[in-house]
Amino acid sequence: MSRTSTAPKRAPVPTGYQPLLPVQLCERLLSAGMERGADFAEIYVERNEFTAVTLEEDKVKSAQNGLSQGVGMRVISGAKVGYAYSDDLDEEALFRAARTAAFIAHGGGSEKSFPVARTPLPTFYRLDNHLADIDVALKRDLVVRANKAARAYDKRIKQVMCSWADSTKRVLVANTVGRLAEDIQDLCRISTMVVAEGKKGERRTGSYGGGGRVSFKHFDTFTPEFVAREAARQAIAGLGAADAEAGQQTVVLAPGWSGILLHEAVGHGLEADFIRKGTSLFAGKLGQKVASDLVTVIDDGTMANARGSLNVDDEGNAAQFKVLIERGELKGYMYDSLNAKLMGQQTTGSGRRESFKHLPMPRMTNTYLAPGEDTPEDILLSVDKGVYCANFGGGQVDITNGNFVFEVSEAYEIKKGKLGRPLKGVTLIGVGPEALKNVSKVGNDPRPDPGMGTCGKDGQSVPVGVGLPTLRIDNMTVGGTKVGAR
Amino acid sequence: MSGYEALAKKIMQRALKRGANQAEAFLQVGRSADVRVRDGEIEDLTQATSKGVGIRVFVKNRLGFVWTSDFDQTGLDTLIDRAIALAEMSAPNPLNGLPDKDALRKYPDVGELFDEKVANLPPDWKIKAAIEMEKVIKAFDPRITAMDSVGAGESVSEVYLATSAGMSGSYQGTSVYLYASPVASENGSLQTSYWYDAKRFFEDLASPESVAKKAAERAVRLLGAKKVKSQKCAIVLDPTMAAGFISSIAGAANGDAVFKKSSFLAEKLGKKIAPAHVTITDDGLRKRGLATSPFDGEGVPTRRTSLVEGGVLKAFLYDAFTARKAKTKTTGNASRGYRSLPSIGANNLVLEPGTKTPEQIIKEIPNGFYVTAMLGHGANTVTGEYSRGANGLWIENGELTRPVQEVTVAGNLNDMLMQLDAIGNDLTFHGSTGASTIRFKELTVSGE
Repeated sequence: MSRTSTAPKRAPVPTGYQPLLPVQLCERLLSAGMERGADFAEIYVERNEFTAVTLEEDKVKSAQNGLSQGVGMRVISGAKVGYAYSDDLDEEALFRAARTAAFIAHGGGSEKSFPVARTPLPTFYRLDNHLADIDVALKRDLVVRANKAARAYDKRIKQVMCSWADSTKRVLVANTVGRLAEDIQDLCRISTMVVAEGKKGERRTGSYGGGGRVSFKHFDTFTPEFVAREAARQAIAGLGAADAEAGQQTVVLAPGWSGILLHEAVGHGLEADFIRKGTSLFAGKLGQKVASDLVTVIDDGTMANARGSLNVDDEGNAAQFKVLIERGELKGYMYDSLNAKLMGQQTTGSGRRESFKHLPMPRMTNTYLAPGEDTPEDILLSVDKGVYCANFGGGQVDITNGNFVFEVSEAYEIKKGKLGRPLKGVTLIGVGPEALKNVSKVGNDPRPDPGMGTCGKDGQSVPVGVGLPTLRIDNMTVGGTKVGAR
Repeated sequence: MSGYEALAKKIMQRALKRGANQAEAFLQVGRSADVRVRDGEIEDLTQATSKGVGIRVFVKNRLGFVWTSDFDQTGLDTLIDRAIALAEMSAPNPLNGLPDKDALRKYPDVGELFDEKVANLPPDWKIKAAIEMEKVIKAFDPRITAMDSVGAGESVSEVYLATSAGMSGSYQGTSVYLYASPVASENGSLQTSYWYDAKRFFEDLASPESVAKKAAERAVRLLGAKKVKSQKCAIVLDPTMAAGFISSIAGAANGDAVFKKSSFLAEKLGKKIAPAHVTITDDGLRKRGLATSPFDGEGVPTRRTSLVEGGVLKAFLYDAFTARKAKTKTTGNASRGYRSLPSIGANNLVLEPGTKTPEQIIKEIPNGFYVTAMLGHGANTVTGEYSRGANGLWIENGELTRPVQEVTVAGNLNDMLMQLDAIGNDLTFHGSTGASTIRFKELTVSGE
């Protein structure tokens, strides 16, 4: 992953293009939202088309299409927020939503109007053909190919589940600051999950996938065969794995998807809502040392075609490249506009929401660790005894006490700088800042994940990217089932 | 017949007319309101109405599926044609189709699911309840310094189903809830907790005061939590954590995973998997249960299914398609929203309570760990591996002593079920899963 993002191109407003809702109607709705004298009103309009294909037991099980559309009206008065949404787009329902959202304000009415104007935006993922317009048969062919390749990989692969999912989301945001922003956000992912069966009924799972805000052509090079073989390789490699030893050990993380460690260990704790409420252990620590000198953490919403990238966040603001931690020092938090205002800061373009049914919150986009100077080989050679974490399941964090876990789906023991037996049931647990202070080597091999991450917060899911070079962390607690061999 | 019931029927009939051999419309309508408060004032207030329909069609044994929140007639007609075209994309499978006639019996009497009182709560009820919770929490202990969220809300939902297999029905339900997540701090270290209650009926809901006290107590008692040494010892899960464990077991009893041999329980039917005091039931009929409904996501009457009885694995959960594959009958466990195809899911899960009090269960432990919060997904129902981050209190000589964090609890689900040596008498429903305090004789704790 490169630290310099691709130079943004200006997106022309397409000809013959109809806004999701007439601009004049948006302006009238904003006035309705301000009827009780609020400070701010915003309208978020969304139309999202989904396509999915699923395959299991050697058969294409289903092909699906979905359409979700609606409007969310947000009104802010002081620190109070009123929100109402509707999936009816007729004027009566929209004005009802605007007035319901306005309920939290208690001032006098005004006759003021709130004109909005389109904001020119850079683009980081303009596709020639939107994913919703690609023939479903082509998407089906990808999962059929993935299934074939996974089954051909090894006779011990007994179950294969493949899926394709894409969405083409059009959004429009208009607010009483005068901003009008529109975007089309395509997103897709191919996934393969396999079960391998070994001796005595032993089962191992493997899964892999990827995509992003990429055109369908992406899968000419990121082929379904590649995805399927990687899933199958993981499952087969795990057969005969030994129980992991419980306790503190040196761990080496493979590059790429392991970036979820950063996402969990520090990312969430740097989101401004937790900082403002004083519920994150990183609150009040700006300028302080929170990680080893080797650690520089970046959240970048402007990476070309990445899963977490945004031309515009869900409050109409441009996405940004943000240094969160520089050489171990805490540099900044991630802000949405509400928390920025209440904290006397500027938004960092981090206001995101799952859909029109949700309030925006500060969220991550693509979060990664800047590369270091060691080669991956040297990092491995530096470890006498430890655990190599090659692939990962999910993770979770308690941002208040900083405890995070993440599940290692493919792990090996390290003995005298070399990989040994596969290990099973490995979970890593730690406290964010402590784990980052224990980072002792950072590789020169930065790598983004293949585009398969989804982050959940307060019940809202948004697509994100992560990335990490090979990393060595000392004294990491490894959750295993074996005790006392040390 | 209500407008939505008629609409569901009309969609289903149009799909047949346009070429489907079988068709189904699953329609949901709802409204909800939620408030969060901060410093005695509204932090945010959200109100909404929503609706949507999922249309499932079978054309020559091929499945097509579409869903939308737009009920405009022209849009729906286009989408129905789309569903039929999409069916061409999938493989023909003679096992595809709506539930068989003999599965569509009369609906059971599940009692009332709808509370007029919840449907007609005054708008300021939520605000008052949430402000009261915040006050109680702040007064509980001076070490409570911040609030992640304190809130309350209610929802009303309706389901309408029409299928060409002759099934047509609807039901309405309500739910009402309170939640609180305070933060306690001492000497620069922070701890939090989350506590809530959700019920269908207003009179069943815990008081704001009790939810607040529980939340506050659970955060404060973790202050000063530290790692412990890695060791094998007795593990006690409080009822909320036990409910999570029981849900994992029910996940492994999913008939589809079993058929694909992707469950650690796949070869265990009729075998002893736990001590005789372990009985787990999926109770779709439970009175006032949050997951109670007269029929499942494809119109099959719901029922009570004994999963584990006296420690013996008795049954798996099925929908119509998987039941046909496995040459058995659906158990009425097709779970879904309008945006998804039916898939197998539990209704109300219950771990039958035992006779010991939680205090007795703890008293019998010389050295162990009482777990009150967990992190991570951690339970792999394919391989049976279990490993999760855990917070709670250390048990020494039968007493809860110091707080613990940053450790994992690990085992294998097969082994854990056999190690389940005590079940408390404190059955608690948190959402739709009910469980009591449970104890595992010996699992691995990873720490220092």
